[in-house]
Amino acid sequence: MSTTTRFPNELITKYGLAGPRYTSYPTALQFHESFDDEAYRRNINSSNNDLIPRPLSLYVHLPFCQQLCYYCACNKKVTRNTQLAEEYLYRLDKEIEMQGDLFDNDRQVIQLHFGGGTPTYYDDAQLKHIVDQLSRNFLFSRSSSREFSIEIDPRTVDEERIANLGDIGFNRVSMGIQDFDPAVQKAVNRIQDEAATLRLIDAARQSGFNSVSVDLIYGLPLQTPQSFERTIDSVLSVRPDRLSVYNYAHLPHLFRAQRMIKQDDVPKPEVRLRLLDSTIRKLVEAGYVYIGMDHFALPDDELALAREDGTLQRNFQGYSTCRQTDLVGMGVSAIGKVGNSFVQNLKDIRAWESSLDDNKLPVWRGLQLNREDCIRREVISAIMCQGQVLFEKFEEKFDIDFCDHFALELESLKPLEIDGLVEIQEQRIDVTATGLLLLRAIGMKFDEYLIKDMHGKSYSKVI
Amino acid sequence: MMSSDSQQKPYLADRQQVACSQCVLSNLCLPRNLDESDTEQFEHLVNKSHPIQPGEHIFRAGDKFQSISAVRAGCFKSYIIDKNGEEQVLGFYLPGEIIGFDAIHEQTHKANVVALDTSSVCGLSFDSVSEMARQLPLLQEELFRVMSLQISELAANAADLSADERIARLLYSLSSRFASRGYSSKEFNLSMSRRDIASNLRLATETVSRVLARFQSAGIISVNRKKVAILDLDKLRELARRDAPSLSGE
Repeated sequence: MSTTTRFPNELITKYGLAGPRYTSYPTALQFHESFDDEAYRRNINSSNNDLIPRPLSLYVHLPFCQQLCYYCACNKKVTRNTQLAEEYLYRLDKEIEMQGDLFDNDRQVIQLHFGGGTPTYYDDAQLKHIVDQLSRNFLFSRSSSREFSIEIDPRTVDEERIANLGDIGFNRVSMGIQDFDPAVQKAVNRIQDEAATLRLIDAARQSGFNSVSVDLIYGLPLQTPQSFERTIDSVLSVRPDRLSVYNYAHLPHLFRAQRMIKQDDVPKPEVRLRLLDSTIRKLVEAGYVYIGMDHFALPDDELALAREDGTLQRNFQGYSTCRQTDLVGMGVSAIGKVGNSFVQNLKDIRAWESSLDDNKLPVWRGLQLNREDCIRREVISAIMCQGQVLFEKFEEKFDIDFCDHFALELESLKPLEIDGLVEIQEQRIDVTATGLLLLRAIGMKFDEYLIKDMHGKSYSKVI
Repeated sequence: MMSSDSQQKPYLADRQQVACSQCVLSNLCLPRNLDESDTEQFEHLVNKSHPIQPGEHIFRAGDKFQSISAVRAGCFKSYIIDKNGEEQVLGFYLPGEIIGFDAIHEQTHKANVVALDTSSVCGLSFDSVSEMARQLPLLQEELFRVMSLQISELAANAADLSADERIARLLYSLSSRFASRGYSSKEFNLSMSRRDIASNLRLATETVSRVLARFQSAGIISVNRKKVAILDLDKLRELARRDAPSLSGE
């Protein structure tokens, strides 16, 4: 993507409405409790019976953190009581065993991700234990192209731990930074040493990690475009393979931790625009490819290559290169995707543990996709991942007349076309460079549930 | 005769109007070579079924033999339970194919037959069909032909073929059968699971997937969940025939 000569402020303001991130479609808002563990099992059975069952992607949620970051909207538990964390592990062992039993044992795990909370809250021995338990109950791919990644809080690891994590089997890492500016760090209660963090990124490279990703957040309290630019410059000095630059969504009524952040300190919309503008400009100038949504990658990184050749996917962790897998979510609140269904674990740690103690799968809710869901999911995915929708592909695959089927949606895209976000032709829709900044707004036009219900959901602002 | 059939087989409706001449399978099913008036006569023997749900059985091993069933729609598998209590799949039946011949000689069904899809069948009292066949040589010919087809398929399955050959044979056979039913020979949806296929071909479930994945890498087929697209039919035919007894009929 070439930088637009002028950042489209008005457009971003105009389309900066509430919008889902579409890490799934339908979104988790559509999950419901009548999708139970029986439904989950049925979907697993069906997927096991495919002619060539899909390989697996495993997600493990480790919710514990030592300290509270005020911006956090994740499912987490802040505690110094390591006993709690250990008890969580006993149940996790059990869940891994139970879930492993359900999937045919010739289905290879080609992707693994530890998220949280802070996965590195646990020490290396504990993390190794979890990986071992997973490898006992699932078939790990032995290919070097497998993606085993872990989220790291740099404050909890040193060079030695990084090396150990590599030994355990991880070959990808994402480091939480958010912002190096001391005032911002203080305002969000995340004091993190800049030099130490940069050293760790280097160490990760030395230890053979294939792809080092860094998480930043713009829109944090007390951020200014100048201060954030400094953070970016600093991060660029170690040239991470990927950057995720998330937008801070100030929703204190939804997320308790955020009540510690003063509304007045949160950058106003115009400032956020400038933050976003300068971030994109800097990264693109430094040679990064804008993948879409919140992701940037070096041009020879797999994400960038996948975007080039049209194989880019999107999942709950964001963009991914992994070919079609079924996702097994383990741990509290974890989300899985099997066949045409989603499933989510219980959100409360005690309830999750209790369920496993009763030998029951800790399923909270989920969703069985119908045909319409499947079609729209692919349209939204095409928008998010390929920046184009080729009608013929959908007509062939789903036996529909695209223009007929989506007559209303295409009509609703016309204003976006006038504003230069998309180009609509007879047989295709293309996302423009401007539209790339506003993918959500485009995707929303095909979201059947949003269309049906235009009022009152609290999504974060798009920008 | 009809009503006792309906009693034993609740999925068979009481004497519904059946029009074999208008049936989409008319060029495949038993009365295909009969003239108009003979076909009309034949129609009187046929009971059309209600929709049969996946998992519903139409025959169980040990059932007294009364009728054969022609598949109208959907797909069935026949299986026995072996001495270890394991399911052994004997074969699959597509629309136009006849189920139940195995029951003739002992007047008892030997195999269980279950629907894999929402399906329907036409039930025919075998006594009535044989009686009519005695008078209509073309019908008798057709009966023998169909029985012979099934027997030679089984014989072929007994041959010592490699996993690749067995799977290629099955795919090729299904492809031909779908083609003759007016579906594409190149792309079709399979109702049977990889387990069913493995059981039928006496292979391990993992082997079936491994071979299919290999065929896919080699560009011979393309697989998506239960859908198969045949990209190189010639290659598939070649794999299916090598050292094997000739494929029957197709």
